[in-house]
Amino acid sequence: MAAGLPRRIIKETQRLMAEPVPGISAVPDESNARYFHVVVAGPEGSPFEGGVFKLELFLPEEYPMSAPKVRFMTKIYHPNIDKLGRICLDILKDKWSPALQIRTVLLSIQALLSAPNPDDPLANDVAELWKVNEMEAIRIAREWTRTYAMGN
Amino acid sequence: MFSGAVRLFFVSAMNGLHYTLFLRLPRWLHGRAPPPALRSGVGSEDGINSAGLSTVTDKYVLDTLAVIRTLVDNDQEPPPSMLKLHTIADKEAGWLVVVRSMVQVIPLHDPLGPAVITLLLDDCPLPSKETVVHLCKFFELSEESAQESWKDPQLHRNICVVLGCIAEKLAGPASIALLTDTTLEYLVAHLNVDNHPCVILFALIALEKFAQTSENKTSIGQYMGQGLCNPLRTLEQWMSDNDYVRRQVGFCAQWCLDNLFICEGRPYSYENVDTTHLNAMLNNNDVSEYLKISPDGLQARCDASSFESVRCTFQVDSGVWYYEATIITAGVMQIGWATKDSKFLNHEGYGIGDDEFSVAYDGCRQLFWHNAQSESHLHPSWQPGDVLGSLLDLTNAEVIFYLNGDPLPPLTQVFNNATCGFFAAASFMSFQQCEFNFGKKPFMHPPKDIAFQSFNDHAYLKESEKIILPRHIKLQKLRAMSVEEGACTLCFDERATISLMPCLHRGFCERCALQLEICPMCRRDIEERREVDEKSDGKSEIT
Repeated sequence: MAAGLPRRIIKETQRLMAEPVPGISAVPDESNARYFHVVVAGPEGSPFEGGVFKLELFLPEEYPMSAPKVRFMTKIYHPNIDKLGRICLDILKDKWSPALQIRTVLLSIQALLSAPNPDDPLANDVAELWKVNEMEAIRIAREWTRTYAMGN
Repeated sequence: MFSGAVRLFFVSAMNGLHYTLFLRLPRWLHGRAPPPALRSGVGSEDGINSAGLSTVTDKYVLDTLAVIRTLVDNDQEPPPSMLKLHTIADKEAGWLVVVRSMVQVIPLHDPLGPAVITLLLDDCPLPSKETVVHLCKFFELSEESAQESWKDPQLHRNICVVLGCIAEKLAGPASIALLTDTTLEYLVAHLNVDNHPCVILFALIALEKFAQTSENKTSIGQYMGQGLCNPLRTLEQWMSDNDYVRRQVGFCAQWCLDNLFICEGRPYSYENVDTTHLNAMLNNNDVSEYLKISPDGLQARCDASSFESVRCTFQVDSGVWYYEATIITAGVMQIGWATKDSKFLNHEGYGIGDDEFSVAYDGCRQLFWHNAQSESHLHPSWQPGDVLGSLLDLTNAEVIFYLNGDPLPPLTQVFNNATCGFFAAASFMSFQQCEFNFGKKPFMHPPKDIAFQSFNDHAYLKESEKIILPRHIKLQKLRAMSVEEGACTLCFDERATISLMPCLHRGFCERCALQLEICPMCRRDIEERREVDEKSDGKSEIT
């Protein structure tokens, strides 16, 4: 942090607080304004419905020229999210643009929960099951949601 | 380096399209857990029967601890013992076995012990709330057991490290659930001056990590009390104790009182600290985000699991310069010199000595670092109380490190990439601390055969620049900053004066536009960045 907190981050934080995204809460850490505690509600109609998923989001030194780093802290059964909570999402990698924001990133992650993409997997075993037996995969995803993402 | 490079190695071995996101993950040895693809096939068929599991796990934990300091190369495989532990911890029951083993066998005085606990827990899957509750029952936490902790300080120190680590990993509702009255009583009961200082230290750090969740912060603050009966008020007096563990307790107690558990009527330390004749200090605006700096600007400490770095305020461009650092903890720190081009990639495990613009001494693993490459040196491992001397000779283009006055051969490589603009700088692994002397006090072991200058004799700081504000006050001030109209839509710092050609999107300042190759709005290639009349309309907005 060569020169304190960039205005871009301050401005985004203010807007996130003033106009929160439905189904998502993102709160900056009290001791580190680049670190956000994020909670995403499982989207309706998805196997994650009813679950509350905790994520962490970190704005690296080069932000917004490089993408935020985001990770699921709550266990989730999803073909594009691995055991360590890492997320496979193009806008977090080669399709990042500095015009995107924390808000748009979180909306994209919410959308990824609604529409898993087993053809571009990060968790290979999950993706495999999702392709050969989608019903069973969805059943496990519901079960994991109940076990890890409810009642905490 | 704290092995961020190893992580990058594994990432590149995976499918390049998969973005691996690590955030506050291991840092040193991070990513030493191989990607899931490499891990498949290990599991229950591993042949470990549950009866002998504890014994085997104990051995893996000790093996990991023994081997960890030898791991420095980027392309090194994780040690087999560590892979085994990850396999075991993959299931909830196994996770409990691993945690129990760590608590029971990690020795009290290994300087890397607590960091290894943090490291191993960091890469394991997150435990469920039930598992954590089960763990607390197993530990039999209570105020009474804490009062008996002198009987087995190793066990209680390790329990505190584990609790702190889990509190940090599960920050939020689960951390609130974990901080039951019993857990709180147990941790606070440790904060007694008669206890083993190692146990006090990690009980305090655990409380700090619980306090990352604000409900916990409130309940801990209330439980400890506002007045002088607050145990931290006594412990902060150990700030300059002769015992180095007690000194760490003093540092952490003072930091907590200034930053987390504010006591009415107690002035902030920065309001009382004597900064006369202080002309050079650690730069509170040139530091990675989790490093703690003392109110006098001369001590730094890391309790995060990232590899935290800081530079000094004073830049040197010519001549011969010397400073000293008193080692307070004997773990991994990389202390030396860096220019402003040197980046603090704390989450990736890169620090001072891990790029071409810096050079550092690592007295734990007995290495020099430059450009993320290490080289052994002949000094013994440093111990608390040792004094590292660091000499930068820009006339002859060499750097010399001394341990308690004993010099090592000069280093010259860094001068191929930088010849001026150097700062004293250092990086810290978890739970490491040292105290700098930039010349305000007499040096302990000044080099005798060479004339040198000290920063403090040549630098100058305004009174306002000497203030190290507590974090919450600093953040409040930053948030109060206003944002101007017509500012760049990317950084909000500069005026938006550039239009991108051929797509004509605008709303960017020159500095941002020069960093772009494609338009942030439409992703078209940028052929030209054209200055426009900022008063004309058509400003693009980010939405």
